[in-house]
Amino acid sequence: MNSIISALNKGIEAAGVDRKRISITSDIPFEPEAVRSLGVDYFQTPRGRAIAFGTGLKLGNPSLKVIPVVGDLMTLGGNHFVHGGRRNMELLVICVNNFVYKKIAGIPAPSTQATFSPYSTFEEPFNFPHLGNSCGAVYTARWTALHTKELAASVSEALHKRGLSMIEVLAPGPNYYRRIDVVESELLQFYFENSVVKNNEDPRNAAITGDDKIIVGKFTDKERPTFIDSYNVQHTKILGDKFTPHGPASEKQKVSGGKNG
Amino acid sequence: MKANPKDVLTGIYYIDGDVASGYGALAAGCKFVAGYPITPSTEAFEAVCRRGPQVGAVFIQMEDELGSISAIVGAAWSGVKTMTITSGPGYSLMQECIGFGAMLETPFVLLNIQRGGPSTGVPTKTGQADIMQSRWGSHGDYELIALAPDSPQEMFDYTIKAFNLAEKYRCPVMIMSDECVGHMTEKVVIPEADGIEVEPRRLYTGPAEDYLPFKPEPDLVPKMAKAGDGLRLYITGLVHDERGYPVEDSAYKSKYVRRLVDKIRLNRNNIIELREEGTDDADVIVVSYGISSRVAVKGVEIAREKGIKVGTLRLVTVWPFPDDRMSELAKKARAFVVPEINYGQVVYDVARCAHGDANVVLVPHGGAGVHNPNDIADAIEMAVREEKKIEGLVEFKTRLQKSVFEGGFKLKE
Repeated sequence: MNSIISALNKGIEAAGVDRKRISITSDIPFEPEAVRSLGVDYFQTPRGRAIAFGTGLKLGNPSLKVIPVVGDLMTLGGNHFVHGGRRNMELLVICVNNFVYKKIAGIPAPSTQATFSPYSTFEEPFNFPHLGNSCGAVYTARWTALHTKELAASVSEALHKRGLSMIEVLAPGPNYYRRIDVVESELLQFYFENSVVKNNEDPRNAAITGDDKIIVGKFTDKERPTFIDSYNVQHTKILGDKFTPHGPASEKQKVSGGKNG
Repeated sequence: MKANPKDVLTGIYYIDGDVASGYGALAAGCKFVAGYPITPSTEAFEAVCRRGPQVGAVFIQMEDELGSISAIVGAAWSGVKTMTITSGPGYSLMQECIGFGAMLETPFVLLNIQRGGPSTGVPTKTGQADIMQSRWGSHGDYELIALAPDSPQEMFDYTIKAFNLAEKYRCPVMIMSDECVGHMTEKVVIPEADGIEVEPRRLYTGPAEDYLPFKPEPDLVPKMAKAGDGLRLYITGLVHDERGYPVEDSAYKSKYVRRLVDKIRLNRNNIIELREEGTDDADVIVVSYGISSRVAVKGVEIAREKGIKVGTLRLVTVWPFPDDRMSELAKKARAFVVPEINYGQVVYDVARCAHGDANVVLVPHGGAGVHNPNDIADAIEMAVREEKKIEGLVEFKTRLQKSVFEGGFKLKE
C-alpha cells in the first residue's frame, strides 16, 4: 500500500495537477496520515462503491480529478466499473490486485485470495486490462508494486486522460501473507522478477496464467468522448440555448465547438 | 434563503405526484439526480431528466440502485444538493448506503414511491409496508427523517421541505410516498421563487487548518465541507473522531453514535409536523399517514354521522415519531385506530406510546389497493364500544380479510 501511495504521490506531482482538486475514493481504508501527506481529499466508501461514489463526486463537481482505489475490483461493485468504462466516466481507477501466488508450494499458480480457502482456488481469475479495454476504458496498464517509476509515470499519464483509465497494481495483502509465513518483500520481489514489460501488448494476451511470465506495461491508450462530453453534445443538440453545458469552463468551449455533434 | 427563480416552474398545473416531486426537487435547488428506473417511481425520474438539463441539474441513470445511492452520497460531498428516486426492491438495495450517508452526516433526499411487496410484489399498485424499513433498514444505530405526503401538491411542498431538513440536520431524508399518491393527478400550485424558502448547505468558512468535519455545533449538527477546497478531508464510514479519523475505542463509539441519534431525537420538536383535527375531545383518534389518511377522511365522516367523537392525527413526519404528543393524547382518548397498508408497522409505535392508556386498533391492508372506508368506520365504532382496556394490540377484521380467507389463517391442531 505504501508503495502505491508513494507512486500516487509521484504521479500527481509529475502530472502537475493541483492536489486540492484531487479526491481519492476507496473501499479499503487508507491511513489518515498518508492521505494528509498526499494533500488530497479522501473518502472511504462501503465495499465496492468507490467507483459509483466517485461518479457522483465527478458529476457534482467536474473540475475534480477522482481516483477510485479499489481492492477486489470485479467482485463487489464490478458493475460500476463495467458501466463506468462504457460511459467513459472521467475516473482513474487504481485496481490493487492482491491475489495469491502460492509460492509457498513452489508452484506459481494464480488464484484470487487462495489463502481464504484451505484447498486453494480453482476459478479462473479476471484479466483486468482486457476487461477494462473491452468496457471502453481509454487507458489500461498493469504494473507490480515494485515498478515504482513506471507506475508513477502511468498515474501521471492517466491523470491527463479524458475518460476512464485503469491501472492494475499487483501487490501483496500483508495481513494474509503473514499468516502463511510469506514475507511481503520477498513476494513483491517474486512478482517483479516474474514479470516482463510489454507495452502496447494486446490486452487479450495479458491474462495471468501462472505458467508464463506476468505481462506488465501500458496496454490501452485511446480517445473517446467522455460521459460529460456526450451529455453536453446531446442536450445542446436538442435543447439549444436552453441548455448550459456541464463541466469546467475550459471544457464547455469544446462542446460549443460542436465536438462529435 | 429564497429559491432561484430559474429552478422554479411557477404556475398552476394538473400533474401527478411523481412529477410534482421531481419539480419540487429542482425548485429546492437539487443539482444532481442519480437513479435506476423502477415502477411506480419512473415519472419522477423522467420529470427530472426532462427539466433538469434546462436548469443546470445533472442526471444519470446508474447501473443499479447500489450505484445510484453511492453516486448521490458522492455528489453531496462535491457540494451539490442531491436526490435519488426508487421503489420497493430498489429501496432494499440502497439500504447499506443509506446507513453510510447517515454515518457521514450527508444531506440527501430519497424519494420512495412505495409499491406492494415483499420482493417484486405488485409493482404497479400501492403499499405502505416499507415504512419500518425507512426507520431501521440499514445496519447499526442511526436516525433519519421520513415524510409521508398525501397529495401531488404535498409531493411538491414536502420534497422541498425534505431538502431543507436534510441540509439543516445533515442527514438523509426519506419521502415515503406510495403508488397512489405518486400516480394521483391533481391540481398543483407552484408558487413564485420568492415564496419558496430553501435551506443552504451549512458550509464551513473558517481557516482550512482549523476545520474539523465532525465537530458539532450547538444543535449537534457539524458544519459541512466539500471536496476540492483544499481541506484535506478524510471521510470514512468507520466510526471516526471529530477530524474524521477512524477510532475503535468503545467510549468514543458510544459518544459518536449517540450524537448521530441525538441530533435528530433532541431536535424532534423542530422537525415533527402533524395535522390534527378534533383530537382534544375525541373518544377515538384515527392515526394515519400518506394515502391512508386520504381514505380515512371518508371513514371518519361515516363514524361521525353515527355520533361518534372522532379526531384525526396525520403523521406528515413519520420518523422521528411524535412520542410525546401520542402519549399525551392516549391519556385523553379511549382508543387509537391505525389504518395502514401493511400488517402492522407504525401501529406498534402508536401502541408503544399509548402505554396502555388507550386501546390501539390496527386496520390492516395487504396492499395493491387501499382501505374500504367502511372498515375504518367500523373499526372506530368497535373501538368506541370497547369499555375495558384491551390487552395488547387489536387487529380489526376487514371485509376483504373476511371474504378472502374467512377471517384469518389458523394452525391446524
